[in-house]
Amino acid sequence: MKFKAAIFYPAIGAAFFLFASVNDRAQQLPVGHATDFTSNQYFEPPNGQQVKMRLSGAEALPLPGGSLDVRQLRVETFSLDGKAEVIVRAPQCNYSPFDGMANSAGHMELQTGDGKVHVEGDGFLWRQTSSSLTISNHVRTLIDMPGATMLGS
Amino acid sequence: MKKIIFILTLGICGAVMAQTNGQLNLPLTLRTNAPAPKAPAKPKPPTEINSDTADFDLNIHQAIYRGHVLVADPQVRMTCAWMLVDLPTGGVHLSHVVASTNVVVDFVDQKGQTNHVTAAKAVYDYKVVGAVTNETVTFSGNPIVDMPTITIYSEPLVWDRGENKYHFTEPRMISKDNGTNGPAQKLF
Repeated sequence: MKFKAAIFYPAIGAAFFLFASVNDRAQQLPVGHATDFTSNQYFEPPNGQQVKMRLSGAEALPLPGGSLDVRQLRVETFSLDGKAEVIVRAPQCNYSPFDGMANSAGHMELQTGDGKVHVEGDGFLWRQTSSSLTISNHVRTLIDMPGATMLGS
Repeated sequence: MKKIIFILTLGICGAVMAQTNGQLNLPLTLRTNAPAPKAPAKPKPPTEINSDTADFDLNIHQAIYRGHVLVADPQVRMTCAWMLVDLPTGGVHLSHVVASTNVVVDFVDQKGQTNHVTAAKAVYDYKVVGAVTNETVTFSGNPIVDMPTITIYSEPLVWDRGENKYHFTEPRMISKDNGTNGPAQKLF
């Protein structure tokens, strides 16, 4: 999985971005304070115009080492037909654009696009490149479809 | 005074009719010999899963729960140490669940009997092939079913959810009535 394009859109406030290339990945890294930003990851060709994942936040503050302190994180993944598959929300997290990881000791929530599955917990690690999420503590899942209890359908 | 009450009554009736688009909606209880209409079924509450940690692979739509896993809904309570859930993209029905390590399931069957099932592993599979639905739970790793009148040991122990029957393999049964081992018999 590679980034074909990751674009930050600073909407409000002062935002300063430098552009850097890591291997064959085109990334745009904020080096200053940004607000209301969005980063899109696209599917591989021939679906390169379709957004696969969108990462957005209300505020991003630079941290030592190139990471960002992101407030009101929102990660959305999409299917090829454009439907939202998963939405992840967290009030705060540290996001490393270089390796595509976000983590926090705080609360987070995940919900599927159809609303059938809702997950929340405390402390998480999001690996952008593998689209995987680890929740460390107090995981609570609500599944609104038969079969989850094995015997209760 | 009677005139005022009459006018007020007409006003209330008028308001009720106006709020129901002309259809009179009165709180009357009519008694007939016809069977009472069935109340609409209440939507089943979602199943809740609690655990210490969890990993979600969003590419293959799979969740793995670890540590003090508790699955509960109004009918069933299950605990284990590890559980894998395949989450279908369509969101219609879970198709594959694996519970492992100290699996304990408690539920009340259709006869109203409590069932307490323990095993090292439980695998739930749900498949629809044509018009046939296969829905089974296979318990393995020293599975035991404990019911009010009997305890049954079977390796493996398969619950066919479609037929709502247990399928035993070389079962050993202990009746609680006289405490003796009984011969293998069809229970369900």
